Amino acid sequence: MNTAEVVVNMPPANAMEAGQFIQLDNVFKAYNNELVVMDGMNLDMRADDRLVIIGPSGSGKSSLLRVLMGLEGIQGGDINFHGQPYIKSENNDSKVVSDELHSRVGMVFQHYTLFPHLTVMGNLILAPMKVHGKDKQSCIAKGRELLARLGLEDKVDYYPSQLSGGQKQRVAIARALMLEPELMLFDEVTSALDPEMVTEVQNVMMQLAEQKMAMIIVTHDMHFAREIATRVVFCAGGKIVEQGTPDEVFGNPKEARTREFLDKVLHLN
Amino acid sequence: MDYQFDFHFLTGKADMLLEGLWVTLQLTLYANAMGVVLGFVLCLMAMSKFRMLRWPCQLFIEFFRCTPVLLQIVWFFYCIPILFQVYIDPITMGVLALGLNLTAFNAEAYRAGIQSVPKAHFDACVALGLKSWQQTLYVVLPQSLRTAMPVLLTNGISLMQQSALVAIVAVSDLMYMGKSIAVDAYRPLETYSLIALIYFLMALPISHLVNVFERRQDAAMQR
Ligand SMILES: Nc1ncnc2c1ncn2[C@@H]1O[C@H](COP(=O)(O)OP(=O)(O)OP(=O)(O)O)[C@@H](O)[C@H]1O
Ligand SMILES: [Mg+2]
Repeated sequence: MNTAEVVVNMPPANAMEAGQFIQLDNVFKAYNNELVVMDGMNLDMRADDRLVIIGPSGSGKSSLLRVLMGLEGIQGGDINFHGQPYIKSENNDSKVVSDELHSRVGMVFQHYTLFPHLTVMGNLILAPMKVHGKDKQSCIAKGRELLARLGLEDKVDYYPSQLSGGQKQRVAIARALMLEPELMLFDEVTSALDPEMVTEVQNVMMQLAEQKMAMIIVTHDMHFAREIATRVVFCAGGKIVEQGTPDEVFGNPKEARTREFLDKVLHLN
Repeated sequence: MDYQFDFHFLTGKADMLLEGLWVTLQLTLYANAMGVVLGFVLCLMAMSKFRMLRWPCQLFIEFFRCTPVLLQIVWFFYCIPILFQVYIDPITMGVLALGLNLTAFNAEAYRAGIQSVPKAHFDACVALGLKSWQQTLYVVLPQSLRTAMPVLLTNGISLMQQSALVAIVAVSDLMYMGKSIAVDAYRPLETYSLIALIYFLMALPISHLVNVFERRQDAAMQR
Protein backbone atom coordinates (compact mmCIF):
# COMPACT_ATOMS: atom_id res chain seq x y z
CA MET A 1 0.00 0.00 0.00
CA ASN A 2 1.25 3.44 -0.84
CA THR A 3 1.78 5.20 2.48
CA ALA A 4 0.84 8.65 1.25
CA GLU A 5 -2.52 7.20 0.25
CA VAL A 6 -3.20 6.04 3.78
CA VAL A 7 -2.80 9.35 5.45
CA VAL A 8 -3.40 12.24 3.15
CA ASN A 9 -6.42 12.67 1.00
CA MET A 10 -5.31 15.01 -1.75
CA PRO A 11 -7.87 17.58 -2.78
CA PRO A 12 -8.38 18.24 -6.51
CA ALA A 13 -5.62 20.16 -8.25
CA ASN A 14 -7.68 23.29 -8.74
CA ALA A 15 -8.00 23.61 -4.96
CA MET A 16 -4.43 24.90 -5.05
CA GLU A 17 -5.78 28.10 -6.57
CA ALA A 18 -7.03 31.00 -4.53
CA GLY A 19 -10.72 30.85 -3.67
CA GLN A 20 -11.00 27.14 -4.34
CA PHE A 21 -10.38 25.70 -0.89
CA ILE A 22 -11.44 27.41 2.33
CA GLN A 23 -12.75 30.92 1.98
CA LEU A 24 -14.10 33.12 4.76
CA ASP A 25 -16.09 36.04 3.51
CA ASN A 26 -16.79 38.85 5.96
CA VAL A 27 -17.47 36.46 8.84
CA PHE A 28 -18.91 37.91 12.00
CA LYS A 29 -19.17 36.05 15.27
CA ALA A 30 -19.99 37.22 18.75
CA TYR A 31 -20.74 35.31 21.93
CA ASN A 32 -23.96 36.31 23.67
CA ASN A 33 -24.41 39.20 21.22
CA GLU A 34 -21.66 41.20 22.84
CA LEU A 35 -18.25 39.55 22.85
CA VAL A 36 -17.07 39.90 19.27
CA VAL A 37 -14.48 37.30 18.31
CA MET A 38 -14.68 37.51 14.50
CA ASP A 39 -15.29 40.97 13.17
CA GLY A 40 -15.72 40.84 9.43
CA MET A 41 -12.98 38.31 8.95
CA ASN A 42 -11.75 37.44 5.47
CA LEU A 43 -9.43 34.57 4.84
CA ASP A 44 -8.46 32.63 1.77
CA MET A 45 -6.74 29.32 2.27
CA ARG A 46 -5.40 27.16 -0.51
CA ALA A 47 -5.13 23.40 -0.35
CA ASP A 48 -1.35 23.60 -0.22
CA ASP A 49 -1.40 26.05 2.69
CA ARG A 50 -0.45 25.30 6.24
CA LEU A 51 -1.77 28.20 8.23
CA VAL A 52 -0.51 28.89 11.69
CA ILE A 53 -2.74 31.23 13.63
CA ILE A 54 -1.07 33.26 16.34
CA GLY A 55 -2.43 35.97 18.57
CA PRO A 56 -2.99 37.02 22.14
CA SER A 57 -5.05 34.87 24.51
CA GLY A 58 -8.74 35.48 23.97
CA SER A 59 -8.26 36.80 20.44
CA GLY A 60 -10.58 34.16 19.01
CA LYS A 61 -8.16 31.62 17.58
CA SER A 62 -9.99 28.63 19.03
CA SER A 63 -13.29 30.18 18.01
CA LEU A 64 -12.14 30.32 14.39
CA LEU A 65 -11.26 26.62 14.41
CA ARG A 66 -14.48 25.70 16.20
CA VAL A 67 -16.49 27.57 13.59
CA LEU A 68 -14.67 25.73 10.79
CA MET A 69 -15.40 22.39 12.53
CA GLY A 70 -19.08 23.23 12.89
CA LEU A 71 -18.94 23.46 16.67
CA GLU A 72 -20.00 27.09 16.78
CA GLY A 73 -22.32 29.15 14.64
CA ILE A 74 -21.60 32.47 12.97
CA GLN A 75 -23.83 35.52 12.90
CA GLY A 76 -22.66 37.09 9.68
CA GLY A 77 -20.88 36.26 6.44
CA ASP A 78 -20.26 32.99 4.65
CA ILE A 79 -17.68 30.28 4.53
CA ASN A 80 -17.12 28.36 1.32
CA PHE A 81 -15.25 25.13 0.88
CA HIS A 82 -14.28 23.97 -2.61
CA GLY A 83 -16.26 26.91 -3.91
CA GLN A 84 -19.47 25.53 -2.39
CA PRO A 85 -21.40 26.91 0.57
CA TYR A 86 -20.04 25.26 3.70
CA ILE A 87 -21.20 27.46 6.55
CA LYS A 88 -23.81 30.16 6.25
CA SER A 89 -25.23 32.70 8.65
CA GLU A 90 -28.72 32.80 7.18
CA ASN A 91 -30.72 31.96 10.30
CA ASN A 92 -28.72 34.50 12.24
CA ASP A 93 -26.85 31.71 13.95
CA SER A 94 -26.13 28.68 11.90
CA LYS A 95 -23.51 26.04 11.58
CA VAL A 96 -22.63 23.68 8.83
CA VAL A 97 -24.89 23.46 5.79
CA SER A 98 -23.11 20.55 4.10
CA ASP A 99 -22.46 17.31 5.98
CA GLU A 100 -20.45 16.10 3.05
CA LEU A 101 -18.02 19.02 3.27
CA HIS A 102 -18.01 18.72 7.07
CA SER A 103 -16.71 15.16 6.78
CA ARG A 104 -13.67 16.44 4.90
CA VAL A 105 -12.49 18.40 7.94
CA GLY A 106 -10.84 16.82 10.97
CA MET A 107 -9.86 18.35 14.29
CA VAL A 108 -7.63 17.60 17.25
CA PHE A 109 -8.19 19.42 20.52
CA GLN A 110 -6.11 20.76 23.35
CA HIS A 111 -7.84 18.55 25.89
CA TYR A 112 -7.72 14.80 25.63
CA THR A 113 -10.84 13.58 23.88
CA LEU A 114 -10.22 9.87 23.41
CA PHE A 115 -13.24 7.89 24.57
CA PRO A 116 -12.11 6.14 27.76
CA HIS A 117 -14.37 3.09 27.37
CA LEU A 118 -12.86 2.17 24.00
CA THR A 119 -9.41 0.86 23.19
CA VAL A 120 -7.10 2.75 20.85
CA MET A 121 -8.44 0.70 17.94
CA GLY A 122 -12.01 1.13 19.18
CA ASN A 123 -11.53 4.89 19.11
CA LEU A 124 -10.12 4.77 15.60
CA ILE A 125 -12.83 2.67 14.00
CA LEU A 126 -15.91 4.11 15.72
CA ALA A 127 -16.65 6.92 13.28
CA PRO A 128 -15.61 5.17 10.04
CA MET A 129 -17.89 2.26 10.91
CA LYS A 130 -20.85 4.02 12.46
CA VAL A 131 -20.87 7.23 10.44
CA HIS A 132 -19.51 6.07 7.13
CA GLY A 133 -20.66 2.46 7.24
CA LYS A 134 -17.25 1.00 6.43
CA ASP A 135 -16.69 -2.64 7.22
CA LYS A 136 -14.79 -3.51 10.35
CA GLN A 137 -11.97 -5.49 8.79
CA SER A 138 -10.88 -2.75 6.42
CA CYS A 139 -11.15 -0.15 9.20
CA ILE A 140 -8.92 -2.24 11.45
CA ALA A 141 -6.40 -2.76 8.68
CA LYS A 142 -6.30 0.95 8.00
CA GLY A 143 -6.09 1.71 11.72
CA ARG A 144 -3.08 -0.56 12.11
CA GLU A 145 -1.36 1.02 9.16
CA LEU A 146 -1.92 4.50 10.58
CA LEU A 147 -0.83 3.57 14.10
CA ALA A 148 2.31 2.01 12.71
CA ARG A 149 3.10 5.22 10.86
CA LEU A 150 2.69 7.19 14.07
CA GLY A 151 4.84 4.76 16.06
CA LEU A 152 1.92 3.36 18.06
CA GLU A 153 1.60 -0.16 16.63
CA ASP A 154 2.07 -1.76 20.06
CA LYS A 155 -0.73 0.30 21.63
CA VAL A 156 -3.60 -1.04 19.51
CA ASP A 157 -5.38 -2.73 22.42
CA TYR A 158 -4.52 -0.20 25.11
CA TYR A 159 -7.14 1.93 26.80
CA PRO A 160 -6.57 5.70 26.81
CA SER A 161 -5.91 5.65 30.56
CA GLN A 162 -2.87 3.47 29.86
CA LEU A 163 -1.29 5.99 27.48
CA SER A 164 0.93 8.99 28.08
CA GLY A 165 -0.30 12.44 27.09
CA GLY A 166 1.79 12.49 23.94
CA GLN A 167 0.54 9.06 22.93
CA LYS A 168 -3.06 10.16 23.53
CA GLN A 169 -2.65 13.13 21.24
CA ARG A 170 -1.04 11.02 18.53
CA VAL A 171 -3.92 8.56 18.74
CA ALA A 172 -6.31 11.52 18.51
CA ILE A 173 -4.55 12.59 15.33
CA ALA A 174 -4.80 9.05 13.98
CA ARG A 175 -8.50 8.97 14.84
CA ALA A 176 -9.10 12.12 12.83
CA LEU A 177 -7.01 10.83 9.92
CA MET A 178 -9.09 7.64 9.73
CA LEU A 179 -11.78 9.72 8.03
CA GLU A 180 -9.35 10.89 5.35
CA PRO A 181 -9.87 14.60 5.89
CA GLU A 182 -8.59 17.15 3.39
CA LEU A 183 -8.15 19.75 6.10
CA MET A 184 -6.88 19.20 9.63
CA LEU A 185 -7.42 21.65 12.46
CA PHE A 186 -5.10 21.59 15.46
CA ASP A 187 -5.98 23.71 18.48
CA GLU A 188 -2.98 23.92 20.81
CA VAL A 189 -2.62 20.16 20.76
CA THR A 190 0.65 20.19 22.69
CA SER A 191 -0.10 22.78 25.33
CA ALA A 192 -1.42 20.25 27.86
CA LEU A 193 1.66 18.07 27.44
CA ASP A 194 4.79 17.72 29.49
CA PRO A 195 7.72 19.26 27.58
CA GLU A 196 9.34 15.95 26.74
CA MET A 197 6.23 14.78 24.90
CA VAL A 198 5.75 17.88 22.80
CA THR A 199 8.26 16.85 20.16
CA GLU A 200 6.73 13.44 19.45
CA VAL A 201 3.42 15.09 18.62
CA GLN A 202 5.00 17.90 16.62
CA ASN A 203 6.98 15.33 14.65
CA VAL A 204 3.76 13.66 13.61
CA MET A 205 2.42 16.99 12.45
CA MET A 206 5.61 17.65 10.52
CA GLN A 207 5.21 14.25 8.91
CA LEU A 208 1.75 15.28 7.73
CA ALA A 209 3.17 18.57 6.49
CA GLU A 210 5.68 16.71 4.37
CA GLN A 211 2.79 14.87 2.78
CA LYS A 212 1.20 18.22 1.93
CA MET A 213 -1.75 17.92 4.27
CA ALA A 214 -3.71 21.15 4.47
CA MET A 215 -3.78 22.30 8.08
CA ILE A 216 -4.73 25.18 10.28
CA ILE A 217 -2.72 25.17 13.46
CA VAL A 218 -3.15 27.27 16.57
CA THR A 219 -0.05 27.25 18.71
CA HIS A 220 1.89 29.34 21.18
CA ASP A 221 5.12 27.63 20.15
CA MET A 222 6.66 30.18 17.79
CA HIS A 223 9.59 27.99 16.93
CA PHE A 224 7.29 25.22 15.75
CA ALA A 225 5.07 27.77 13.98
CA ARG A 226 8.00 29.00 11.97
CA GLU A 227 9.02 25.47 11.09
CA ILE A 228 5.68 24.12 9.91
CA ALA A 229 3.81 27.10 8.49
CA THR A 230 3.57 28.12 4.87
CA ARG A 231 1.67 31.15 6.08
CA VAL A 232 1.40 32.79 9.47
CA VAL A 233 -1.73 34.69 10.40
CA PHE A 234 -1.73 37.12 13.31
CA CYS A 235 -5.19 37.74 14.76
CA ALA A 236 -6.23 40.31 17.30
CA GLY A 237 -9.52 41.96 18.12
CA GLY A 238 -11.50 39.66 15.84
CA LYS A 239 -9.53 40.68 12.78
CA ILE A 240 -6.55 39.43 10.86
CA VAL A 241 -3.96 42.07 11.62
CA GLU A 242 -1.18 40.69 9.51
CA GLN A 243 -0.33 37.61 7.49
CA GLY A 244 2.56 36.40 5.41
CA THR A 245 5.26 33.75 5.14
CA PRO A 246 6.93 32.79 8.40
CA ASP A 247 9.99 34.80 7.39
CA GLU A 248 7.91 37.87 6.70
CA VAL A 249 5.86 37.76 9.88
CA PHE A 250 8.57 36.62 12.27
CA GLY A 251 11.54 38.26 10.57
CA ASN A 252 10.05 41.54 9.58
CA PRO A 253 6.57 42.22 10.98
CA LYS A 254 4.93 45.25 9.40
CA GLU A 255 2.30 46.04 12.02
CA ALA A 256 3.12 47.52 15.39
CA ARG A 257 0.70 45.13 17.14
CA THR A 258 2.39 42.11 15.62
CA ARG A 259 5.82 43.36 16.72
CA GLU A 260 4.54 44.02 20.20
CA PHE A 261 2.98 40.53 20.45
CA LEU A 262 6.08 38.80 19.10
CA ASP A 263 8.36 40.75 21.40
CA LYS A 264 6.31 39.61 24.32
CA VAL A 265 6.04 35.90 23.46
CA LEU A 266 9.60 35.54 22.18
CA HIS A 267 10.91 37.05 25.37
CA LEU A 268 8.93 34.59 27.39
CA ASN A 269 10.34 31.63 25.47
CA MET B 1 -34.52 -20.15 75.27
CA ASP B 2 -36.20 -23.52 75.23
CA TYR B 3 -37.66 -23.29 71.74
CA GLN B 4 -37.29 -26.53 69.81
CA PHE B 5 -36.29 -25.90 66.23
CA ASP B 6 -38.01 -28.28 63.87
CA PHE B 7 -37.59 -28.11 60.14
CA HIS B 8 -39.45 -31.34 59.37
CA PHE B 9 -42.62 -29.57 58.41
CA LEU B 10 -40.73 -28.18 55.43
CA THR B 11 -40.51 -31.55 53.70
CA GLY B 12 -42.94 -31.41 50.84
CA LYS B 13 -42.93 -27.60 50.90
CA ALA B 14 -39.81 -27.26 48.75
CA ASP B 15 -41.95 -26.94 45.63
CA MET B 16 -43.85 -24.02 47.08
CA LEU B 17 -40.65 -22.28 48.08
CA LEU B 18 -39.09 -22.83 44.68
CA GLU B 19 -42.20 -21.51 43.00
CA GLY B 20 -42.09 -18.42 45.18
CA LEU B 21 -38.39 -18.01 44.55
CA TRP B 22 -38.97 -18.19 40.82
CA VAL B 23 -41.60 -15.45 41.03
CA THR B 24 -39.27 -13.27 43.10
CA LEU B 25 -36.49 -13.80 40.58
CA GLN B 26 -38.78 -12.91 37.71
CA LEU B 27 -39.96 -9.76 39.45
CA THR B 28 -36.37 -8.78 40.17
CA LEU B 29 -34.94 -9.53 36.73
CA TYR B 30 -37.71 -8.01 34.63
CA ALA B 31 -38.06 -4.94 36.80
CA ASN B 32 -34.29 -4.46 36.63
CA ALA B 33 -34.22 -4.86 32.87
CA MET B 34 -36.93 -2.23 32.70
CA GLY B 35 -35.21 0.07 35.19
CA VAL B 36 -31.79 -0.10 33.56
CA VAL B 37 -33.07 0.68 30.06
CA LEU B 38 -35.92 3.08 30.81
CA GLY B 39 -33.92 4.76 33.58
CA PHE B 40 -31.40 5.93 31.00
CA VAL B 41 -34.11 7.13 28.61
CA LEU B 42 -35.96 8.89 31.42
CA CYS B 43 -32.74 10.53 32.57
CA LEU B 44 -32.04 11.87 29.07
CA MET B 45 -35.56 13.26 28.86
CA ALA B 46 -35.34 14.78 32.33
CA MET B 47 -32.15 16.55 31.20
CA SER B 48 -33.65 17.68 27.89
CA LYS B 49 -33.48 21.33 26.94
CA PHE B 50 -37.18 21.23 26.10
CA ARG B 51 -39.20 22.22 29.11
CA MET B 52 -42.32 20.37 27.98
CA LEU B 53 -40.36 17.15 28.00
CA ARG B 54 -38.21 17.88 31.04
CA TRP B 55 -40.88 18.86 33.51
CA PRO B 56 -43.17 15.82 33.29
CA CYS B 57 -40.14 13.55 33.57
CA GLN B 58 -38.80 15.35 36.61
CA LEU B 59 -42.25 15.13 38.16
CA PHE B 60 -42.34 11.38 37.43
CA ILE B 61 -38.99 10.93 39.16
CA GLU B 62 -39.99 12.97 42.18
CA PHE B 63 -43.30 11.17 42.47
CA PHE B 64 -41.67 7.76 42.75
CA ARG B 65 -38.96 9.02 45.06
CA CYS B 66 -41.31 10.81 47.38
CA THR B 67 -44.07 8.25 47.98
CA PRO B 68 -43.83 4.90 49.78
CA VAL B 69 -43.15 1.89 47.55
CA LEU B 70 -45.83 -0.05 49.32
CA LEU B 71 -48.35 2.61 48.42
CA GLN B 72 -47.16 2.60 44.79
CA ILE B 73 -47.69 -1.16 44.59
CA VAL B 74 -51.09 -1.07 46.22
CA TRP B 75 -52.12 1.85 44.03
CA PHE B 76 -51.11 -0.03 40.89
CA PHE B 77 -52.94 -3.19 41.83
CA TYR B 78 -56.19 -1.53 42.77
CA CYS B 79 -56.33 1.58 40.64
CA ILE B 80 -55.02 0.49 37.23
CA PRO B 81 -57.86 -2.04 36.74
CA ILE B 82 -60.42 0.58 37.75
CA LEU B 83 -58.96 3.37 35.64
CA PHE B 84 -58.27 1.38 32.49
CA GLN B 85 -60.77 -1.46 32.78
CA VAL B 86 -58.02 -4.01 32.17
CA TYR B 87 -57.00 -7.18 33.88
CA ILE B 88 -53.24 -7.64 34.03
CA ASP B 89 -51.78 -10.75 35.60
CA PRO B 90 -50.29 -10.11 39.05
CA ILE B 91 -46.67 -10.76 38.13
CA THR B 92 -46.76 -8.35 35.20
CA MET B 93 -48.42 -5.82 37.44
CA GLY B 94 -45.72 -6.32 40.04
CA VAL B 95 -43.01 -5.90 37.41
CA LEU B 96 -44.64 -2.70 36.19
CA ALA B 97 -44.98 -1.17 39.65
CA LEU B 98 -41.51 -2.16 40.80
CA GLY B 99 -39.96 -1.42 37.39
CA LEU B 100 -41.33 2.10 37.20
CA ASN B 101 -40.12 2.78 40.71
CA LEU B 102 -36.67 1.53 39.79
CA THR B 103 -36.74 3.54 36.56
CA ALA B 104 -37.10 6.71 38.61
CA PHE B 105 -34.27 5.82 40.97
CA ASN B 106 -31.98 4.65 38.18
CA ALA B 107 -32.60 7.86 36.25
CA GLU B 108 -31.02 9.68 39.16
CA ALA B 109 -28.09 7.26 39.13
CA TYR B 110 -27.49 7.87 35.43
CA ARG B 111 -27.59 11.62 35.81
CA ALA B 112 -24.27 11.77 37.63
CA GLY B 113 -22.83 9.47 34.97
CA ILE B 114 -24.02 11.60 32.08
CA GLN B 115 -22.78 14.76 33.72
CA SER B 116 -19.37 13.20 34.15
CA VAL B 117 -18.83 12.91 30.38
CA PRO B 118 -16.40 15.74 29.60
CA LYS B 119 -17.75 18.49 27.37
CA ALA B 120 -14.77 18.09 25.06
CA HIS B 121 -15.99 14.59 24.19
CA PHE B 122 -19.09 16.05 22.62
CA ASP B 123 -16.93 18.35 20.51
CA ALA B 124 -14.89 15.35 19.42
CA CYS B 125 -18.10 13.53 18.50
CA VAL B 126 -19.21 16.40 16.29
CA ALA B 127 -15.77 16.59 14.70
CA LEU B 128 -16.02 12.87 13.92
CA GLY B 129 -19.44 13.37 12.37
CA LEU B 130 -21.42 11.36 14.94
CA LYS B 131 -25.10 12.26 14.95
CA SER B 132 -26.54 13.14 18.33
CA TRP B 133 -28.23 9.73 18.77
CA GLN B 134 -24.93 8.08 17.94
CA GLN B 135 -23.14 10.22 20.53
CA THR B 136 -25.72 9.12 23.07
CA LEU B 137 -25.50 5.45 22.16
CA TYR B 138 -21.78 5.00 21.59
CA VAL B 139 -20.20 7.61 23.84
CA VAL B 140 -22.57 8.80 26.57
CA LEU B 141 -24.31 5.52 27.41
CA PRO B 142 -21.20 3.35 27.88
CA GLN B 143 -19.44 6.00 29.94
CA SER B 144 -22.39 6.78 32.18
CA LEU B 145 -23.26 3.09 32.53
CA ARG B 146 -19.81 2.52 33.91
CA THR B 147 -20.03 5.43 36.35
CA ALA B 148 -23.55 4.52 37.42
CA MET B 149 -22.96 0.77 37.76
CA PRO B 150 -22.43 0.59 41.55
CA VAL B 151 -25.60 2.59 42.18
CA LEU B 152 -27.57 0.62 39.57
CA LEU B 153 -26.58 -2.64 41.26
CA THR B 154 -27.37 -1.29 44.72
CA ASN B 155 -30.78 -0.16 43.46
CA GLY B 156 -31.20 -3.58 41.88
CA ILE B 157 -30.65 -5.40 45.16
CA SER B 158 -32.92 -3.13 47.13
CA LEU B 159 -35.54 -3.77 44.50
CA MET B 160 -35.29 -7.46 45.24
CA GLN B 161 -35.95 -6.73 48.91
CA GLN B 162 -38.83 -4.42 48.06
CA SER B 163 -40.32 -7.02 45.77
CA ALA B 164 -41.37 -8.82 48.96
CA LEU B 165 -44.01 -6.12 49.35
CA VAL B 166 -46.05 -7.55 46.48
CA ALA B 167 -46.99 -10.40 48.82
CA ILE B 168 -49.42 -7.88 50.32
CA VAL B 169 -51.43 -7.85 47.11
CA ALA B 170 -51.33 -11.64 46.83
CA VAL B 171 -48.59 -12.11 44.28
CA SER B 172 -47.22 -15.54 45.11
CA ASP B 173 -43.56 -14.60 45.49
CA LEU B 174 -41.06 -16.02 47.95
CA MET B 175 -42.39 -13.87 50.80
CA TYR B 176 -45.99 -14.83 50.09
CA MET B 177 -45.20 -18.53 49.95
CA GLY B 178 -43.19 -18.27 53.12
CA LYS B 179 -46.08 -16.61 54.85
CA SER B 180 -48.49 -19.34 53.76
CA ILE B 181 -46.16 -22.07 54.96
CA ALA B 182 -45.55 -20.30 58.26
CA VAL B 183 -49.24 -19.88 58.91
CA ASP B 184 -50.15 -23.44 57.89
CA ALA B 185 -47.52 -25.07 60.09
CA TYR B 186 -47.50 -22.55 62.91
CA ARG B 187 -43.77 -22.34 62.42
CA PRO B 188 -42.99 -18.64 61.81
CA LEU B 189 -39.52 -18.71 63.33
CA GLU B 190 -38.13 -21.46 61.11
CA THR B 191 -39.92 -20.31 57.99
CA TYR B 192 -39.14 -16.61 58.14
CA SER B 193 -35.52 -17.33 59.10
CA LEU B 194 -35.17 -19.60 56.11
CA ILE B 195 -36.76 -17.04 53.78
CA ALA B 196 -34.46 -14.34 55.13
CA LEU B 197 -31.48 -16.61 54.47
CA ILE B 198 -32.58 -17.16 50.89
CA TYR B 199 -32.93 -13.40 50.23
CA PHE B 200 -29.60 -12.85 51.91
CA LEU B 201 -27.80 -15.48 49.84
CA MET B 202 -29.20 -14.07 46.63
CA ALA B 203 -28.23 -10.48 47.41
CA LEU B 204 -24.82 -11.10 48.92
CA PRO B 205 -22.90 -11.85 45.70
CA ILE B 206 -24.33 -8.76 44.02
CA SER B 207 -23.45 -6.67 47.02
CA HIS B 208 -19.90 -7.94 46.67
CA LEU B 209 -19.92 -7.09 43.00
CA VAL B 210 -20.73 -3.50 43.95
CA ASN B 211 -17.63 -3.39 46.12
CA VAL B 212 -15.53 -4.73 43.27
CA PHE B 213 -16.88 -2.07 40.90
CA GLU B 214 -16.27 0.67 43.40
CA ARG B 215 -12.74 -0.45 44.04
CA ARG B 216 -12.08 -0.64 40.32
CA GLN B 217 -13.43 2.86 39.83
CA ASP B 218 -11.25 4.24 42.60
CA ALA B 219 -8.28 2.63 40.91
CA ALA B 220 -9.27 4.13 37.56
CA MET B 221 -9.50 7.58 39.13
CA GLN B 222 -5.98 7.29 40.42
CA ARG B 223 -4.57 6.52 37.00
N1 LIG C 1 -18.76 29.38 24.41
C1 LIG C 1 -18.38 30.63 24.74
N2 LIG C 1 -19.27 31.47 25.30
C2 LIG C 1 -18.92 32.71 25.63
N3 LIG C 1 -17.71 33.23 25.44
C3 LIG C 1 -16.77 32.44 24.90
C4 LIG C 1 -17.05 31.10 24.51
N4 LIG C 1 -15.93 30.56 23.99
C5 LIG C 1 -14.99 31.52 24.05
N5 LIG C 1 -15.48 32.65 24.57
C6 LIG C 1 -14.75 33.91 24.75
O1 LIG C 1 -14.36 34.36 23.48
C7 LIG C 1 -13.06 34.92 23.50
C8 LIG C 1 -12.20 34.20 22.50
O2 LIG C 1 -12.02 32.89 22.94
P1 LIG C 1 -11.10 31.85 22.18
O3 LIG C 1 -11.08 30.62 22.99
O4 LIG C 1 -11.54 31.74 20.77
O5 LIG C 1 -9.69 32.58 22.25
P2 LIG C 1 -8.24 32.03 21.93
O6 LIG C 1 -7.61 32.98 21.00
O7 LIG C 1 -8.29 30.62 21.52
O8 LIG C 1 -7.53 32.14 23.35
P3 LIG C 1 -6.42 31.22 24.00
O9 LIG C 1 -5.12 31.58 23.35
O10 LIG C 1 -6.44 31.59 25.45
O11 LIG C 1 -6.82 29.81 23.76
C9 LIG C 1 -12.57 34.80 24.92
O12 LIG C 1 -12.77 36.03 25.57
C10 LIG C 1 -13.45 33.73 25.53
O13 LIG C 1 -13.64 33.95 26.88
MG1 LIG D 1 -7.74 28.76 22.40
